[in-house]
Amino acid sequence: MNSKFLFHNKYKKWGWLIFIPTAIASFIVVAWEVSPAWLDTKVFAIAVDEIFGDSKSFSFIDNNILNEILGVLMILSGLLLAFSKEKDEDEYIAQIRLSSLVWATYVNYAVLLLAFIFVYDLSFLWVMIFNMFTILVFFIVRFNYKLYQLKKSASHD
Amino acid sequence: MTNSIKVERAKRDLTQADLAKLVKVSRQTINTMEQGKYVPSTVLALRLAKVFETTVDAIFTLEDADW
Repeated sequence: MNSKFLFHNKYKKWGWLIFIPTAIASFIVVAWEVSPAWLDTKVFAIAVDEIFGDSKSFSFIDNNILNEILGVLMILSGLLLAFSKEKDEDEYIAQIRLSSLVWATYVNYAVLLLAFIFVYDLSFLWVMIFNMFTILVFFIVRFNYKLYQLKKSASHD
Repeated sequence: MTNSIKVERAKRDLTQADLAKLVKVSRQTINTMEQGKYVPSTVLALRLAKVFETTVDAIFTLEDADW
């Protein structure tokens, strides 16, 4: 994998610092349906299809932007976390990176395939929402686990 | 593929960390190559040969399983 597509190593720390609190906050927001009034605002929508309302496009609508803020933070910090170089990034780590990305893609779509077949309606919407982030999460978990294994095995020699 | 990195390294009294620095990879990469778990790129193989002042052929040997 060409390392020119990767961020500098210093951004990995920022990735962790933003990703973990955002992930925790997102679970709280989803579980308790938090929607603070001070984050109600007008937003520009390219397309909106309200369940009990009109379909509009290219117009301003009222919206609580808490989930947008958390979603953006989660994706950006997840990308930093996943694609910042390691301190000693070299060709072997690049190979682990590539294999972890392939693995994460397979696992992500395996989960999605099962959900397609066994999950319906509003529950499936929840699967879709989680699926926006799971490929990054699967990659981050597998890549860091493989790095941990590598460091552990090398320290025995 | 087998290799004689460990032997060549011992001949020159280099640690894994020393060799890692010379060929610009991590120590873990040297370790996985010595264990035969990782086959290096052509560039890294050539760098190793240069550091050991030998040829790539002298360090790496193909096995039947590689065909």
